[in-house]
Amino acid sequence: MLTFVARRIVFSIPVLLIASVLVFFFVRETTDPLARLRAGTKDPTTLVREKHRLGLDKPLPTQYTHWLKDFVQLKWGTSFVTNRSVAADMKSRFWNTVQLIFWGILLSGITAIAIGVYSAARQYSALDYTFTGLSFVGLSMPPFWFALMAIQFLVFAPKNWLHLQNPIFYSVGIHSAANAGAVDYARHLALPVLVLSVQLIAGWSRYQRASMLDVMSADYIRTARAKGVSRRAVLFKHALRNALIPLVTVMAIDIGALFGGLIITETIFAWPGMGQFFVTAITNGDTNVILPWLMVVATFIIGFNLFADVLYGALDPRIRMA
Amino acid sequence: MVIPGRDDLSSARAAGAAGTSAALTELATEQAPAEATQAVPVGETVARSQWTLIRRRFLRHRLAVVALAVLFLLYLSAVFAKELSPFDLNPKLTASVLAEARHGPSFKHLLGTDELGRDQLTRILYAGRISLFVGLSVALVSTLFGTLVGALAGYFGGWLDNLLMRITDLVLVIPALAILLIAGQKVKTSGGSSPEIVLVLAVLFWMPIARVVRGVFYSLKEKEFIEAARATGASNRRIIFRHMLPNTIGPIMVNATLVVGLAIITESTLSFLGFGIQPPAVSWGNMLAQSEGSVGTPMAYLIYFPGLAILLTVLAVNYLGDGLRDAFDPQSTH
Amino acid sequence: MRHVRHRSSLLVVVLALALIAAACGGGGGKKNNAAPTENARKGGTVTLSAEQELDCAAFLATCGNSLWGTFALGQHVLPLTYNIDPTTGKQVATNLLAGPATLETSPVQKITYKINPAAKWSDGQPITSTDFKFTWQTIVNRDDSYDKTGYKNIDSVDDSVPSTAVVTFKQGQPFGDWRSLFAGFFGLVPSHILQGKDVTAEMTNGFTWSGGPWKLDHWTKGQELVLVPNENYWGQKPNMDKVVFKFITDTAAESQAFKTGQVALMQPQPQLEQTQIKALPNVTTIANDRFDYEAIWFNTDKPPVNSKAVRQALAYATDRQAIVTQLFGPLKPDIRPIQSFTTAANKAYYQQDFARYTRDLAKVDSTMKGDGWAKGPDGIWAKGGQKANLVISSTTGNKRRELTEQILQSQWKEAGFNLTVDNKKSGVLFGELLPAGSYQISLYAQTPSDGDPTNAGGCSNFCSENIPKQPALSGNNYTRISDPALDTVLRNVDNELDEAKRLSEFKKESAMLADDVPALPLDPLFQPVYYYNNRLGGVVDNPVYGSFSTLAKWFCKSPSC
Repeated sequence: MLTFVARRIVFSIPVLLIASVLVFFFVRETTDPLARLRAGTKDPTTLVREKHRLGLDKPLPTQYTHWLKDFVQLKWGTSFVTNRSVAADMKSRFWNTVQLIFWGILLSGITAIAIGVYSAARQYSALDYTFTGLSFVGLSMPPFWFALMAIQFLVFAPKNWLHLQNPIFYSVGIHSAANAGAVDYARHLALPVLVLSVQLIAGWSRYQRASMLDVMSADYIRTARAKGVSRRAVLFKHALRNALIPLVTVMAIDIGALFGGLIITETIFAWPGMGQFFVTAITNGDTNVILPWLMVVATFIIGFNLFADVLYGALDPRIRMA
Repeated sequence: MVIPGRDDLSSARAAGAAGTSAALTELATEQAPAEATQAVPVGETVARSQWTLIRRRFLRHRLAVVALAVLFLLYLSAVFAKELSPFDLNPKLTASVLAEARHGPSFKHLLGTDELGRDQLTRILYAGRISLFVGLSVALVSTLFGTLVGALAGYFGGWLDNLLMRITDLVLVIPALAILLIAGQKVKTSGGSSPEIVLVLAVLFWMPIARVVRGVFYSLKEKEFIEAARATGASNRRIIFRHMLPNTIGPIMVNATLVVGLAIITESTLSFLGFGIQPPAVSWGNMLAQSEGSVGTPMAYLIYFPGLAILLTVLAVNYLGDGLRDAFDPQSTH
Repeated sequence: MRHVRHRSSLLVVVLALALIAAACGGGGGKKNNAAPTENARKGGTVTLSAEQELDCAAFLATCGNSLWGTFALGQHVLPLTYNIDPTTGKQVATNLLAGPATLETSPVQKITYKINPAAKWSDGQPITSTDFKFTWQTIVNRDDSYDKTGYKNIDSVDDSVPSTAVVTFKQGQPFGDWRSLFAGFFGLVPSHILQGKDVTAEMTNGFTWSGGPWKLDHWTKGQELVLVPNENYWGQKPNMDKVVFKFITDTAAESQAFKTGQVALMQPQPQLEQTQIKALPNVTTIANDRFDYEAIWFNTDKPPVNSKAVRQALAYATDRQAIVTQLFGPLKPDIRPIQSFTTAANKAYYQQDFARYTRDLAKVDSTMKGDGWAKGPDGIWAKGGQKANLVISSTTGNKRRELTEQILQSQWKEAGFNLTVDNKKSGVLFGELLPAGSYQISLYAQTPSDGDPTNAGGCSNFCSENIPKQPALSGNNYTRISDPALDTVLRNVDNELDEAKRLSEFKKESAMLADDVPALPLDPLFQPVYYYNNRLGGVVDNPVYGSFSTLAKWFCKSPSC
């Protein structure tokens, strides 16, 4: 096990490096970090000075190796555009995204498992078909459209129909400035988490259902029923545990992807997280931000994928021997 | 009973790169080993009756049939947009046209007008052309490329297989939307034409298909009928094309269908963020991008309809995929 | 027992009704006073939205160049010598100075600033001429200064008398826009605090010292920036206790925040959806001109717009009034296209030379025919086998520009020109196409920091020496117009220190440009102010510094602002 993990980690490093090289050259080729200055300044020397100051007049490979040298010494540098410390900004952005992820997977996990179990237990019932239909709808909608509709119908509609002073749910940012309190936080959190959860629940509940059905048609389950174990006990004590194994690993993978995957949600709800950070950096061609972002997000993806594999082996004794 | 094996897990991971469609694609790829156990020596007569069986099973899935009909209608409405609508896509902006601006749904303009007085229903029909084109093209390109790569990797194994796995890992490491935004920058530079968007999106979607095909080939490689074919002197090419590929048709078709839906959603997301199709070309995604500010205003109808168009199309595509999956593998737990 | 239950259930009902009333009615609300009195009530916290987050607070450096940096922080903490009078658009001396600065023009340009003896920094130290010297030296000596224009013409700053700064310019290098020095989008920085330190590093993440009515309380990156009053300010102290700028970069989200009352004031880029906001109860809208404007720029080196006749014909083919009305009419009913390269806010220098170009298809015909063009069978002008195929490039992702282009396409098609739209990313447009001249027609804005004629078109845009040349390709004359007579007039405007002479040279410049048409001025770009007038009072818009220029005079009308 340990060698397995170690090997995976070691092999990830060149992958990360190659990814960073590709991204660096591609971004530089398509975007100019000094673009913002060009549109504004009257002083013809500004651009030349700035290019030199930021080292942008050196050949690209040199720029990359400079960045890499600093990065491995844990010097994350400053943004080309804002001149602020990348590490400091990334930390606060990261923490904001983690909050969304945490509440999102809590809500989604519980809901998806519940739906999956119910649907499998009552296969072909009306509610099963309803859930299946809803899952399909959830997976067929563009998430940003759902976000806009959620804002329209959960923020504006109630406020207008009920003539409220303040809307029930907020759609902008993390706190209202005046009120920093748990309830205010919850009202800001609700919609982004909802949008995030719809996607996860749609996918996970289908997966859980299929997994449950698979497990429930197994021999050992049939034996247990034949021996007289109650349907409920069979469902929760035997089937669920085994059915959860593949789901949990898929969940781990999906969670790993969330760290860089909340771009749309954060943009629409003005949630200052990693996704929004990335979009701004990409628009500005700010490789000093893009590359560390990539490293952080990629590390989490690799880490969670690894975790999923390890977990799978840990939970399913049949696999362990493989 | 199928215990999701490690292979399926890794194909789920490859699928995970495309977003939270892990579930659907995972379920689709689950069929690969199942399909393999069912593999029957493929000959002419047997093939024909197998196809009949598949068709019959498909027709039993009512929702999928409805979905197919809906998709066909959508396709027709996009192709015949000009004939269907009394309005122009880009009318001459005369005073009378501009005077109709910002009107909600009415008898004259069934889905309302935008701030330049252009009829929304017309725009949605025309936008369907681009969105459907992108969806279908991405599916086609990524399927062709993915199948090719997967077949070669699965059949020959060795360094080619290793390379495929490493490339997949590489792309996996970068979040999907990040890849698209980065690639989309290039497109934005040149003005956002459809073929470029198709290529950009295809980059992302060929991997799950490659992995599926590879998985099938891997499991088929050791089968007796393949050995027999080799013993009779069949060339590699013949084996691949006549014996192995036909067994992958099922999962490929299912995957391809799912890719159509994902591609449409992804294109709309890219356009929404400003990286995909650029105005004045019109796609459902960039219609939503332009109308984002209408939330909470009386012009909110500008948001409902393009989104519903996407939803309807992708939903139909997904049900179609579901039906295909049932048709090709009736044993799947449903 | 029954009595008790009745009473408690009655209590519950009353409580429930009270809750509902509180939720629905809210505090304050509808029609308190029709004509609110202007006694500025003290105290309160107001929340505003900022459309962009400032990148850094080092206002002298490249990262500090942002409109919202000035809106939200810069103008409140860095003392300025001159501000813009909102009614005339002219630069007027601020309370930093004891009176307008005196200007001598011979033998060299010399400005004498008499500093207000009461002026001091937030730590109590007086603002002195050493601060002027230090600011000048910082700007000219640092590599990362945003704009050295004007400062590099200065030869010396005499700070021997602390209360008087004498700025002497180099021989032969006068600077006409001298009122923008130690003003504009920068200001003064304190030498006694920053001397010997890395000025940019000290200021980048925010700083707590101030020479203005407010000081920075905290700046939470990505979320908000909060100002509190500077107790040591020598002028009129602010009425409010706290000002919170929330960073909401998505325009739709910003509108939502305002509509739902989460912010009390916003000053966004104009969008047509804001008509809904205008119509909300208790909302005041201010839509005044700034000095910013948008124009259609022609590349006078590229056919067919290298021909003056074609450019004039295009000017006659465009119904500019229709464009501005369609784009902005609902928000600003009295909007007119601009007729020179500045806006009507610039009362001293605004000219009307381009007013002759209204849509007149007969004039299009006569001008084109006079240049040898003839309409082909498809209705498009052609000459010598070449059709009048035009391409316009603007920035992607800007809805207003996209709509403008679409209207132009329609208008010009009718007049016999075929226009294609080919938008590029901002970095590509400004970084490659415009400097290299690989464009035919472009559409973009100018955002001057004041109404000085050097910024109204001016030498930087139209002098032949500013045509971008290899290898550096720097210089802002993207239209590539090269006319020695025009050059002379433009340089006169730049260097002339006598106001009357400047104005007459500027009028000459305007007339020449209207004849040559290297660019066609289009719309004045304003940033509308929306605020709840039942919560906030004292708001006045300023053409450069926005509604926040009078932040100290704002007051809350109710306890919850």
